[in-house]
Amino acid sequence: MAELEAYEVFQQAKDGDPMRHGGNVLAPDPELALHYAREMYSRRNESTRLWVVRRADIQVLEDPDLLDPPLDRSFKKPGGYVMRDKLAAARERAGTEKPAARATGHDRTGGRRRTQS
Amino acid sequence: MTDPLALDPVLPVRQRSERPWNDDLPHDERYAHFEAHVTAGGKIEATDWMPDEYRTAVLRFVEMHANSELMGVLPEREWIMRAPTLRRKLALTAKVQDEVGHAQLLYRVAEDLGKPRETMLDDLIAGKTKFHNVFHYPTKSWGDVGIIAWLVDAAAIVAQQALRDSSYAPYARTMQKICWEESVHIMHGRDVVVTLMTGTDSQRALVQEALDRWWGPLMQMHGPRGDRARDRDLHWRIKAKTSEELRQEFLTIYVPRLLELGLVIPDPSLRLDEATKTWSYTEPDWDELRSVVTGHGPKSQERLEFRRLNREDTRWVRDTILTPAPAAAV
Amino acid sequence: MIELALSPAVRTALAELLLTMADDEFVSGFTDSEWTGIAPLLEEDVAISSISQDELGHARALYQLLAGVLADGRDEDAIAYDREPDAFRHARLLDHARGDWADTIARRFLYELADEARLASIGDGYPPLADLVGKLQREERYHRMHLVAWIERLAHGGPESRGRLEAALAAVGPDASSVFTPLAGEQALVEARILTRPVAAAEAAWRADLTGILVPLGLQVPHAAAPSAEGRTGHSESFRWLWGEFTLVRRSEDGATW
Repeated sequence: MAELEAYEVFQQAKDGDPMRHGGNVLAPDPELALHYAREMYSRRNESTRLWVVRRADIQVLEDPDLLDPPLDRSFKKPGGYVMRDKLAAARERAGTEKPAARATGHDRTGGRRRTQS
Repeated sequence: MTDPLALDPVLPVRQRSERPWNDDLPHDERYAHFEAHVTAGGKIEATDWMPDEYRTAVLRFVEMHANSELMGVLPEREWIMRAPTLRRKLALTAKVQDEVGHAQLLYRVAEDLGKPRETMLDDLIAGKTKFHNVFHYPTKSWGDVGIIAWLVDAAAIVAQQALRDSSYAPYARTMQKICWEESVHIMHGRDVVVTLMTGTDSQRALVQEALDRWWGPLMQMHGPRGDRARDRDLHWRIKAKTSEELRQEFLTIYVPRLLELGLVIPDPSLRLDEATKTWSYTEPDWDELRSVVTGHGPKSQERLEFRRLNREDTRWVRDTILTPAPAAAV
Repeated sequence: MIELALSPAVRTALAELLLTMADDEFVSGFTDSEWTGIAPLLEEDVAISSISQDELGHARALYQLLAGVLADGRDEDAIAYDREPDAFRHARLLDHARGDWADTIARRFLYELADEARLASIGDGYPPLADLVGKLQREERYHRMHLVAWIERLAHGGPESRGRLEAALAAVGPDASSVFTPLAGEQALVEARILTRPVAAAEAAWRADLTGILVPLGLQVPHAAAPSAEGRTGHSESFRWLWGEFTLVRRSEDGATW
């Protein structure tokens, strides 16, 4: 006899938002899974879109060797490029002052260390 | 030449998201890693290895919570039929629907820990597992409807808010969703009570009479004071606050709100010590609590029997939909 | 509320139509709200409860419209609650008690499709009703999807479920057409374009819809009953019990606010 299966439900709160995992429902088949997802995750009109997926169809990756390999990779991240001291040295060499107002560039090197996101 | 220092790691070395208790190590080592992780505030998912003690503790905790949501539906659903206005009927139906939804969410968490839903329902009906004391008592009037929706839900939300940071992440996430929904119930309950308190003398009397009956169970609801150091659920961070902390929090918020309506709290010893900001009160009847949660409450057996009968009556439906349907007729 | 020029005859006919629609939604919503907390599956409990709440919400909106048309000082709660059982004008189909799951699915299925045909008959002669009906139709789409899903599952689910479904359809079958009980003021409503077609035409559309779903599943379509003027009066014992329950608190204190 078939079991009830778990279906994971992802919701989008409003247009343009990312899909967020809301939870899961048990259902005997995909059609009722859709109805039940609507009930459990949209009763208060809190979603504009739902993705309903059989849990068994989801691939899970949580291997730290793949997701978080140990050698330094700071050259791939903004925080890996802190130039404050080198800029100061370059200005001193050139005899220039720090420009008064900076237009925001695209490199995000304001000198603050960025925290891990 | 490229300055080799330019590529020095300038960020602190990030902890690899290692979960050493999941590695193939001797049990004692896995246990030690797990305990260190959890007691430091780390989170556990359904797919993690867990010591039996932890798995059992979480399951018991979540199962009792799920059972309570399911049984909690019964005292209130009679009054859905009797709600005196369309809006109250809608609000009460929606509230009870939410409780069923919460039961669903919580049974799902427990199922993912390894216990099938049917087994949990069998155990509930057979009296092997418990549900909260407040759901073993009768409801007598529309006054009860307001008092329960306001104060029982408030006492529950005090406990549930403290669970939003539980070490067991699926449970914590469920608590966040439940707390959001419960806040509406409290408003509905309070609205019912305040409406009655601004009504006729007999409506006001309904509320007072209901409060007189419900105060005792409410004071018992969070459980007896325990020794923080010996509480395993606290140790594993399944929960974060003691019974007494929850009770004090409930009293601090809700006693003033009851008094402002002109209601009399049926405990002459209830008093706030201004210096310590602690409430003292008549010791709740812990014998009553023990007796009630082991199935000897005024409505315990009747409600469990109701559940059992209802489950039997609807068994054919579950059996039907779990049989794969043959291809539809062409 | 816009004061629209309605002739006395149309006003009376419109009030009758609104009362039948509101009472149908009210009684069906009430009856099925009994499943809250005790449905066969937790997820299904939440679904059937939503459908019941939708019906009650529709009833409330319709009673509000009716209050505006009658303009006799009563609000929607007074109209809904402060009447004797014999003053209710819901269809006999909805007098049937909740029953078991098959009874509920059969009754709801027949009713939802009938309601759909009725809503499709509403024209733009009275704009507030036309606007409301537009919204109701959007909400009812889910009801149809869900009920049809269950009819299919019960029909295909094996001898027990099929047997119960067939018995349930047979039990409510004789009263199925009562939703299409002729209205006294039908003629006036059609002339005023509040109805786009007579009630009998809506019934025919309903039968065609039912046939399209039930026949391929090997299920019997209820027999076409001769139009009876009594389809919305002379209510059952189980309705009288329901009335006793839902008026209990309200009757305990005349005129009180709850």
